[in-house]
Amino acid sequence: MEDAKSTWIVAALDQYEGHLVRYAAWILGDLERAREVVQETFLRLCREQPARVGDHLAQWLFTVCRNLAFDVRKKENRMSPLKAETLPTTCDRPATSLEHEETMSHVLRVMETLPKNQREVLRLKFQCDLSYKEISEITKLSVTNVGFLIHTAIKTLRKEMLTESAKRRIQ
Amino acid sequence: MNITPDDPKWTAYVLGELNEAERAQVEQELESSALAREVVEEIRLATSMLKREFAKEQTVGLAAAQRGVIRAKAEPTHVRPIFRWAAVAGSVAAGLFVVASLSIPSLLRSRQAAVETTAALAPPVDGTRTTPSESDRDLKKQRTVFNRQKLEAEIQQAQSREQLLPQGQQGQQGQQGQQAAAPSANALEALQRQEGARFAMKSLAADERAPSGVFPTAPTALADRLDRRQLNTESYDYISDNPFIRVAQDPLATFSIDVDTASYANIRRFLTNNQTPPKDSVRIEEMINYFTYDYPSPTGRHPVAAYTEVASAPWQPDHRLVRIGIKAKEIDTAKRPPSNLVFLIDVSGSMATPEKLPMLKNAMKLMVDKLGEGDHVAIVTYAGASGVHLRSTSGDRKDVINAAIENLNSGGSTNGGAGIVLAYDTATSNFIRGGTNRVILATDGDFNVGVTNQGDLTRLIDEKAKSGVFLSVLGFGMGNYKDSTLEKLADKGNGNYAYIDTINEARKVLVEEMMGTLLTVAKDVKIQVEFNPAMVNAYRLIGYENRALRHEDFNDDRKDAGDMGAGQTVTALFEVVPRGVEIQTGSVDSLRYQQLEKSARRDASGEMLNVRIRYKQPDSDASQSVETPVVDRGTAYGNASVDFRFAAAVASFGMILRESPYKGQSTLDAVIDMAERSRGADRNGYRDEFIQLVRKARLLRGNQ
Repeated sequence: MEDAKSTWIVAALDQYEGHLVRYAAWILGDLERAREVVQETFLRLCREQPARVGDHLAQWLFTVCRNLAFDVRKKENRMSPLKAETLPTTCDRPATSLEHEETMSHVLRVMETLPKNQREVLRLKFQCDLSYKEISEITKLSVTNVGFLIHTAIKTLRKEMLTESAKRRIQ
Repeated sequence: MNITPDDPKWTAYVLGELNEAERAQVEQELESSALAREVVEEIRLATSMLKREFAKEQTVGLAAAQRGVIRAKAEPTHVRPIFRWAAVAGSVAAGLFVVASLSIPSLLRSRQAAVETTAALAPPVDGTRTTPSESDRDLKKQRTVFNRQKLEAEIQQAQSREQLLPQGQQGQQGQQGQQAAAPSANALEALQRQEGARFAMKSLAADERAPSGVFPTAPTALADRLDRRQLNTESYDYISDNPFIRVAQDPLATFSIDVDTASYANIRRFLTNNQTPPKDSVRIEEMINYFTYDYPSPTGRHPVAAYTEVASAPWQPDHRLVRIGIKAKEIDTAKRPPSNLVFLIDVSGSMATPEKLPMLKNAMKLMVDKLGEGDHVAIVTYAGASGVHLRSTSGDRKDVINAAIENLNSGGSTNGGAGIVLAYDTATSNFIRGGTNRVILATDGDFNVGVTNQGDLTRLIDEKAKSGVFLSVLGFGMGNYKDSTLEKLADKGNGNYAYIDTINEARKVLVEEMMGTLLTVAKDVKIQVEFNPAMVNAYRLIGYENRALRHEDFNDDRKDAGDMGAGQTVTALFEVVPRGVEIQTGSVDSLRYQQLEKSARRDASGEMLNVRIRYKQPDSDASQSVETPVVDRGTAYGNASVDFRFAAAVASFGMILRESPYKGQSTLDAVIDMAERSRGADRNGYRDEFIQLVRKARLLRGNQ
């Protein structure tokens, strides 16, 4: 019985740790605080009855993590966008010119111009691979609303990327 | 029907968020509306771009200490981890034992698996033992990055852990541990051999070929190279540029034609992601042949004809560049014979991402549109188990076929071997005499269950090819993509091979080209070029490095070579050093005794070279040949045809990417200039895209 629970927690840790840290780091703009929040999230999971979580594990983890992160943020009242140093991108790419770095982050830059709620659902959808329903439970938005936000965000991105590539072509 | 692109249902459809009824509704609209299809395609592109962007963020997890606290909390007893450790350490060793006997792709994968297994080891929670700090975290970050030292370190760790086992465990585990020690050494040796084979060959002079079966030992640069290349699981065979060969030494160049274009799409993928393509992923002949050139359709009794042109080489003006274009007879597609197609689709978990299975499904539907009632389509899937997903179905029952396509879902691991057998069986049992019989394999190349040994797999395909069923291979996705495996499979299966990176590419290959290659008009097409020593000092075939045939194989009808479909073109470039001009690159020592008298006889002809094509009719086992002699009229590069100049620009770009010793005065600026002046009609915008890619490369590496 105890064994089953520990296996469950270790499996949850393996599966969601990375996603949760990135998600919390995005909310908080700080990696170390994000790690603390995620650690606390899993410690709370240890205290939880697996039966009560059921097959809502992802929702449970992201909701708790999100609430904790918002609490921390409220307390510290600091909100700054994630800097490159805080969340390094995978640097398997060859080190090259400045222009390269610019193109690299262009999508991210456009993303930064989106409303915060759109960015959040994009992240939950495309980084954490959660379904509309799971996202809806985490963010307390309706499923329809989640769908609308994602659709709108993608539309904006599409438009921005098209204009950008057109501009580049002219240059 | 009114299509509202603003409706969130399109996005929901792409993301698989609709219920059955809604999905059916959307699909109906997709059938009937081009606008709807465009909207969905755009959303797909945007979503895959987003996924890529998010995937670039590095996985940062908790600190090891934080994980330790959680695990301690989760696990009330502290003795357990020791047992678990022992078991896992044992399995790491056992895993390595297997590694030692596997082929390259599985080897790469297993190495990674071994690292990952170790990475999953629990750190100590009771403080009675020490592990390297943060080791599990670090390893996790390295998942896609393997280096040999790491494996060595892992093995040592695994072994030292076993030595730490409590007495009671020693008896049981000790035995396993001893077994493990020797295989580990074997595994390392095997690794070294493989890596030696793949990378150390670079240290050989460009004109030396390593004798097959003899692996040079890895030089000290190996470790450095491994680090620098940051190996992920994409694998490419090492390619050495064809050297200049003196005509006096060997007047014949013999090679198999090849209509693959996968390398170009792959290069495009790297450049689009702002990465310089690995040198060995650049195959110049595939780049040149990605583009269409205007050769007239042969009218004589032969289904293939050669067209040639000679002008100066833009990167080495005192050298001549010879373009040889082979064109297969065009056949009106309305009159094409019926086809029997069996799709063999990899539905393993790794195919789930939008740029793989979902894109393939869309492309298949486009292709189904073009099928007639005489055509038959079947679908075989493979993952953990393989099965017939759609029995061979007539092309006029488009609803049934489309529904089956839509029902393809991914999940499970891959057993390519069993799937291939099943697909060939399906194809042979529905064989259409006089028609086109083809297995189309779509995969990201991860054959990880069953017949995974590359040798076994290619032998299997080789044997199946004799049944008259051809094999086309479509490679999908990135990161997991086994370039060399797939190409070998296609070669053995008398087929072609394409890398699919965008829906446009899928359409080009499946709809435009596959419907062309569906009809093979000549098979086992081989080219032999004979140079006239009176005119030519030395020559070099650009690209086609892994297409070289032995001269005696040219006339050996049992030797397999490439096939040509109706309307297909193949282009090859030779760089020729005219008589009287010395070879600059110094790759060939001058010969002391071989003088050129014997050639004087043909001098009068003024011919530079002679192109001989050998081919078989699709239903014949005996070959025929066509000859085309070529005279050099001294044309300057600037006066050559548009197609000639464009092909030269592509070759020049390829040589720069390959850092070829023969690139001469090639620069990215010059390539852009040449390509811009040779765009021609460029109906599909392919040449324009090429120019964009060269610009991208210039941004990435500066002009050189």
